[in-house]
Amino acid sequence: MIFYIIRRVLFIPITLFGISLIVFSMIGMLSPYQRLATFISSPDRLKSENVDQLISMYGLDDPIPVQYGRWFKNLLQGNLGWSYVGKAPVLQALLQRFPYTLELTLYSAIPIILIGTWMGVLSALHHNRTLDHSLRIFAVVGWSFPDFVFGLFVLMIFYSTLGLFPPGNLSLWAEGIVKSTSFRSFTGMTTIDALLNGRLDVFVNALRHLVGPVLTLTYVQLAYILRITRSSMLDVLQRDYVRTARAKGLDERIVINKHAKRNAMIPVATVSGQTIVGLMAGTVIVEAIFNRTGLGSFLALAAQQLDYASIMGGVLFFGLILIIGNLLVDISYAYIDPRVRLD
Amino acid sequence: MKKILVLTWLLVFVLGISVAFAEIKNPDTYVYLHIGEPDTLDSGYAYDNASGEVLTYVYENLISYDGVNLQKFIPVLSTEVPTAENGLIKDNGTTYLFPIREGVKFHNGNELTPEDVEYSFERNILFDPANGPQWMIIEALFNFQTLDDLVADKVGTPLTDMVDENGNLINPDDANKLIEFYQQVIDPVIEVQDGSVVFRLVRPFAPFLYILPKHAYWSNIFDKETCVEWGCWDGNADGWWKYYNVKKESSPLYDKANGTGPFKFTEWDRTQQKVTLDRFDGYWGEKAKIAQIIDWGIDEWGTRRAMLEAGDADQIYMPAQYLDQVKDLDDIKIESGKRITVTAFHFNWTVDKTSDFLGSGALDGNGIPADFFSDIHCRRAFSYAFDYDTMIQEVLLGYGERPPSVIPSGMLGYNPDLPMFEFDLAKAEEEFKKAWDGKVWENGFKLTLLYNTGNDARQTACEMFKENIESLNPKFKIDVQGVQWPNYLDAYKSGKLPAFVIGWIADYPDPHNFIFTYFHSSGVYGGPQGEAYINFAQENLNPIIEAAISETDATKRQNMYEEIQKIAYENVLGLTFYQEIALFPMKTWVQGWEFNPIQSGEANYNGVYKAE
Repeated sequence: MIFYIIRRVLFIPITLFGISLIVFSMIGMLSPYQRLATFISSPDRLKSENVDQLISMYGLDDPIPVQYGRWFKNLLQGNLGWSYVGKAPVLQALLQRFPYTLELTLYSAIPIILIGTWMGVLSALHHNRTLDHSLRIFAVVGWSFPDFVFGLFVLMIFYSTLGLFPPGNLSLWAEGIVKSTSFRSFTGMTTIDALLNGRLDVFVNALRHLVGPVLTLTYVQLAYILRITRSSMLDVLQRDYVRTARAKGLDERIVINKHAKRNAMIPVATVSGQTIVGLMAGTVIVEAIFNRTGLGSFLALAAQQLDYASIMGGVLFFGLILIIGNLLVDISYAYIDPRVRLD
Repeated sequence: MKKILVLTWLLVFVLGISVAFAEIKNPDTYVYLHIGEPDTLDSGYAYDNASGEVLTYVYENLISYDGVNLQKFIPVLSTEVPTAENGLIKDNGTTYLFPIREGVKFHNGNELTPEDVEYSFERNILFDPANGPQWMIIEALFNFQTLDDLVADKVGTPLTDMVDENGNLINPDDANKLIEFYQQVIDPVIEVQDGSVVFRLVRPFAPFLYILPKHAYWSNIFDKETCVEWGCWDGNADGWWKYYNVKKESSPLYDKANGTGPFKFTEWDRTQQKVTLDRFDGYWGEKAKIAQIIDWGIDEWGTRRAMLEAGDADQIYMPAQYLDQVKDLDDIKIESGKRITVTAFHFNWTVDKTSDFLGSGALDGNGIPADFFSDIHCRRAFSYAFDYDTMIQEVLLGYGERPPSVIPSGMLGYNPDLPMFEFDLAKAEEEFKKAWDGKVWENGFKLTLLYNTGNDARQTACEMFKENIESLNPKFKIDVQGVQWPNYLDAYKSGKLPAFVIGWIADYPDPHNFIFTYFHSSGVYGGPQGEAYINFAQENLNPIIEAAISETDATKRQNMYEEIQKIAYENVLGLTFYQEIALFPMKTWVQGWEFNPIQSGEANYNGVYKAE
């Protein structure tokens, strides 16, 4: 196991180098004028005739290997370049936004996994009965809903109409507290930092701002967990050892919870890990609608504007998260199921 | 199941209990939501509305417009507005004197001096960033468009050939030439004289005062001491070139500001696209009524609308197409105002031959030749084939009007009686039959019109051309293609677009700002109209455009600009679609808001406050 982990870790820089090479080559296929979009973000900005100067100033017309070499040399010095979309050094822009995305991901993952597995188990136990059909329809509707439609729906009902769950990260008064010198940032995640600073009012406020996006992500994402849980549970319930347990006269609840559910959870655990990692990169629309300034919306904008420094930085950042996330999933899989041997 | 339902509702209740619908939310804070965020806080570089919205209230200028009256100036950091009558405009309109106000404090407590004014203009001229606004100042003072051209003219070599990307001299022997250039060309043009600042223009420049007032943030006044302390040009002749065309993010003023304006810059949260300004209590003039401004970029329309409805925003940016979603909301009022802007359609007379939008590249029914629009009949046919009124109704929901040419209404040179094309398909057919000796009608043609996705005006315009022109002859084919902005920009800058829709927002309310832009061979939109157009403009338009800018008699200028517009009509140099009437949704509790046609963006923080 330990050698397996070391081997996987040693491959990380090689993988990231390969990714950076591919992405940079793709960006390099674009003309310098296309890449000018980073500097001239809309037709309204086409107000000076010196734009050609920008191309030579930023070396957009240099040969691609030269440009890549320049970028890579800076990378080795810990400099990912300047983000024109984030208006800050790329690494700083990524690190500033990462906690918001992580916070949203964690808060969303909990209900997605808990509700998804609970519904999946219920579905399996009521196989082909009304409850099973109802839950599956409910989940499929959520899965079919475009995030932006459901998100706007949530925003209009719970914020515009009821005034309950506002968009953004914090209300103005709470933001004032968070940005004050007396408030210490430990994690960058407002809810956790608020608790660590003993500010329950800020914690509740941050939580209120999280409800809308979490609700949206939960509803549109839980169908997958439900489906995996249901099919895994159905498979387990037909196994011999479950029949044996029932034949021994064990209480049905014990049969389900101790014997069936534990084994049924093995594929669910794997999928849950992937869901968390996937959520990190899949919050673009929800972040935009709920005005949460996370990585998703930032990188989407970077891609639109062809801000190659941000794109490269984002790709490496997400690449690293995905590699580490998948490694953790693989390791946890081996722990959950002793039959699995990674080496 | 029941337990979960009960718990859920309890959670909703607990979280919601603290929500109280206050009469006015955040009564001392004005929250304006728009798209994007400032490009930079450096007034020497900024050339976008989002930056202008902030800079206009943090910094001040020598003069200002008298409220919304764009024909009258009032003094600000100058104690008088120069006129020929008060003797502050002299030498046939080439010398302007501005007596500098005393007792004015910058936000950090430093006192304003005439040297600050001299420094501000000189620093920006020597900075002259690519894609920045300093061309206006350089044109007014020196009759050149860039510092690079000015150096090339005076020194014999363009500055860009003398200085590397890090601001170092390629040949150290050039240092003396550039020091002399500063001492002999730049320094004498802006000088301090007995408490006044004197500007000496190389020739009369009629709109000079128009490039200086409030809202013209490229003419903001800095605190020299602070700028030098932060790392801007030190004011010396030796080494000034190190500060030329510095990258946007490398400018010391990129994210810092210290002005004399009614609001001081507090924070630019670039993660949230949010700028916070606080009232400056040491302001020399009338203090702002509101304590705090939050200028916030929220790109998603639905979110902006929801925040306005909930009262967390006081004013939002709204494209006209969303009017129906807002107009019937409670506690919302919609202000409107005619902007000094036009949206026009122009032809490329000599398309780049490598363009993908010419089809076969010949008049064989499957394409067009690169010089298709050099034939006046083609241009005229397109002009008759456009339904101008429907465009205004569909895209702007009626909130717009059509000027005859590129000079918007309310400006010198505008004349509603000037000739303009009307929608007339019969005449369009007639012109197509004459085009290219009848070959266009006989063989047909195929071309592609591009628009950048997300731009409804461009899309609608292209689709209207398609529908109307294809109805004339089954051999006519127009493909309408939406592309991402980077691709549109690429095609536009490479001269590959056969025709393009493009807008212009006034930098300053003078016809030169529009006429030069669209019609002069060196105008921003001159080049993209192709080599043949440039030749035409050099011969027929440039002389009169250049004469008009030096003419100080308003009546004569009016006639000259009317003449230019007649030439544009007769030669079908383009079609103006509309001048927009902008809509500004805000809460009914917003008081003191006033539309100014020249304002940067939509916010107006001058006298704004909140009260039922």
